Amino acid sequence: MVARGSKEWEEAGGIAAQALALQARAAPLAHADAEAWEDALSALRRAGAGGSDDGGARRDHALERKLERAAVVPLEIAALGADAAALAAVAGERCDGAYRADAAAAAALAAGGARAAAHLVEVNLGVREGDERLAQARASEQAAADAADRLLTSIR
Amino acid sequence: MSSLDAATDAELVRRCREGDAEAWNALVERFSRYVYAICVKGFRLRAEDAEDVFQDVFTRVYTHLDKLRDDAAVRPWIAQLTRRLCLDSIARGSREQPAPEQDFEETGDDFAEIEEAFAVREAVTTLGEACQEILDRFFAQDQSYRTISAELDLPAGTIASRIARCLRKLREELEGRSEPPGESRE
Repeated sequence: MVARGSKEWEEAGGIAAQALALQARAAPLAHADAEAWEDALSALRRAGAGGSDDGGARRDHALERKLERAAVVPLEIAALGADAAALAAVAGERCDGAYRADAAAAAALAAGGARAAAHLVEVNLGVREGDERLAQARASEQAAADAADRLLTSIR
Repeated sequence: MSSLDAATDAELVRRCREGDAEAWNALVERFSRYVYAICVKGFRLRAEDAEDVFQDVFTRVYTHLDKLRDDAAVRPWIAQLTRRLCLDSIARGSREQPAPEQDFEETGDDFAEIEEAFAVREAVTTLGEACQEILDRFFAQDQSYRTISAELDLPAGTIASRIARCLRKLREELEGRSEPPGESRE
């Protein structure tokens, strides 16, 4: 909306196209996140109910894989949030002034999404401190927050 | 990238006529996805039927290339040929195994999408390598700005703007294209 409304901005179409591409990536990830979490939760319940029979090791492995997937999807969402915030920041800097506040709102929302997703990576039982995925999630969260802050500060 | 990758359709056709084997390979390479997309996406042919049509199309292109009146019109000629052979394939299939009538009118949008996708793909090849790479990474490989920035050693904050500039060039290329080439005798 911000890019399309900025008629004088020559590269607005290119920014709008990128926004659409990010949107197309986000929808399936949101769905996959819910599915991965449900799977991991079911696996955790099964593991909690099971004894130490021969199937224990197999169950642990299956649980590990489910937790792994439950961490990977929010990691991708965090990266997507960082991209959306960066794109909103570019739009906010170059767009028609009438839309700058909307771009800032979009950046803040994207930063919120990145933060929530990074938190989901952090609390995942399969992810421990020092894990590369955690570092990536936090980097995405930070990048999104920085982009949103810069834009919000510039319009206040 | 071979020198033939940058050749125009007309140049490629001319060299094929002269018996240049390398040009023939380049022509098949250039249009193979296009032909296959028409078969599979446009006419919903099964893989084995699409393969038959594919072979048939290029056999006919090879044997009838001298009938093409306008060398630059090779793409629409191949498209027309492919469509006709797809319809023949469907007709043969329905004679062998009667099936519920299929509604081929509904595939008009698919054809338009195929044409558009190939026009864009062709236009992308006219952009500089830097633009081709960054567009491919973002739109085809779904890479994040951070990944692109790290792999291309570019400042992270400039990626979105670079992509936007490349898209502007692409739009100018597409808008600047001339009217459709002429017809063929085939």
